[in-house]
Amino acid sequence: MRRRDVVAPVKTDKSRFQRIENPDDIWLDENTDFPIKKFFFSNREVLFEFSGNKVKNPSLELKDTVYFGVRRCDLNGIMHQDMVFLDDNPDPFYKARRDNSILFGLHCKEGDEYCFCNSVGLKDFFDLMMYDKGNHYLIESGTEKGLVFLDEFKKFFEETAEMISDNDRKIKNNKKLSTTNIKYMYGNESWEDLAKTCLSCGACNLLCPNCHCFTIQDEIDFDLKSGRRVRVPAACQSKGFTRVAGDHIFRETRVSRFKHRIYHQIQYFKERHNEIFCTGCGRCIRGCPVRIDWVKKINEIKDGN
Amino acid sequence: MATKEEIIARNPYLPELKEINYYKRESPDSFTIRLKWKLNHGAGQFIFCSLPGIGEAPISICSYSPEYVELNIREVGNVTNALAKLKKGDKLLVRGPYGTEYPLGALKGKNIIIVGGGCGVAPLKGVIEYIERKREKFGDVSLFFGFRTPEFALFSEQMKSWKKTFKLHISFDKIENPATCTTGIQGFVTQLVDDNVKDSNNAVAVLCGPPIMIEKTAELLEKKGFSDKQIYISAERLMYCGIGKCGRCMIHGKYTCLDGAVFRYDELKEHMD
Repeated sequence: MRRRDVVAPVKTDKSRFQRIENPDDIWLDENTDFPIKKFFFSNREVLFEFSGNKVKNPSLELKDTVYFGVRRCDLNGIMHQDMVFLDDNPDPFYKARRDNSILFGLHCKEGDEYCFCNSVGLKDFFDLMMYDKGNHYLIESGTEKGLVFLDEFKKFFEETAEMISDNDRKIKNNKKLSTTNIKYMYGNESWEDLAKTCLSCGACNLLCPNCHCFTIQDEIDFDLKSGRRVRVPAACQSKGFTRVAGDHIFRETRVSRFKHRIYHQIQYFKERHNEIFCTGCGRCIRGCPVRIDWVKKINEIKDGN
Repeated sequence: MATKEEIIARNPYLPELKEINYYKRESPDSFTIRLKWKLNHGAGQFIFCSLPGIGEAPISICSYSPEYVELNIREVGNVTNALAKLKKGDKLLVRGPYGTEYPLGALKGKNIIIVGGGCGVAPLKGVIEYIERKREKFGDVSLFFGFRTPEFALFSEQMKSWKKTFKLHISFDKIENPATCTTGIQGFVTQLVDDNVKDSNNAVAVLCGPPIMIEKTAELLEKKGFSDKQIYISAERLMYCGIGKCGRCMIHGKYTCLDGAVFRYDELKEHMD
């Protein structure tokens, strides 16, 4: 058995994924407040190091890691980030972390106050998935990698004839989002209403399992010679997101930025990758300091209110 | 499975060092440099230029040569102001090329109308150099350029020879002394287009410049019978990666770096905001 790190949900003040030492720290009661994305799309990635004009690749510290207790919404978030970062021109930093991962999911039994994953067509995307049967879990493997892992750790599992039922695969009490007509809603005045209270704080970007926009910037050391080029996440809700030299801002109004995020989530990504970007986790509503419920609003626009 | 060394060996963000073997002050706020760099690229593509510790900026290629890469850079931000301080023999970091190109190979036999405003003339110089190399493959070629004032005009050397090969028209927003100005008229480039473009028969228009110039010129061309599919434009957005990852250059779902910067006008017309 190979030793691997385990990243699993932990609850302190907030719930989030962490590298754990003690299995007792694992908390699986509800979905986490924060998504899992920072383990693949890091909060600060060194792209290369420089000294004067000399550049070199950074050293990359990698650990084989099992990501345990990841919900379908976050797993689909990883699938979407794969589509971006592992395309024809793959991102080596993202790829290295993904190559070293086992995605060990936990299937939700029911939704929370804000999530709506049944409305966005999530896919089965995992190496292994656990279904909670009360006094035991049923485990399903989705990949060869998952099967090999099960075999490696077989002393912890028991073979069973028990099948995963359609009912096990259902997630109950899920909110609804009507996505079909959003293409025709772009000019609707209700967007203005919705964005009126937006603080442009970018919490929705931070909490989203999909959002992956970034800034590339240089850090220079005190010798004014050596340093590194890094990438840090960026929020499309902030005004400077589209600011070019000469101080022109392409999405100057809050409503244009707000719509950009929603349309990227629901329409643009689908046009390119044939999947709705949004995975319905609802964190952008739950974590919004002014609780902008865009899902409710879109449903209302659809109903003609 | 690839090792992490193998994975990182293909680091698309890692630039290479290239030497400047020509530097020229082009206008009060721009300069032209030539890099010793044999780069296989298309007309209209761009590269990233950077200086360590200062940062990176996307710059369109303003030449078309198998031997070198020329850039006309306007000093407008941190990186470009720092680049302006370089001189012949200095080195800078580059990566590329990126983006789409003007589909010149597919425009054989067409009459070409080239309209540029300000620093938007730079990528068009690459287009013109492409056409010059294969002049017999194209029909009439007309150039329309607008600059703020005569002193802000770019490529004055090249203009002399372009005048011989092509129909060249230049406008200036403002001329101190219009009576003595022999290079162009006072007015906007749209006026030149209006006066000189008769119809859209067998023609394709290639536009690059500020959004307002593109919008007004396209409107005018449409009045003269051009369809959106006969017009190519080059869009500009903030961008960091050039490879469809950073998300910054997105225009209504299209990546300026992958789907552009050259777009056929119908792809972008509704989304010019």
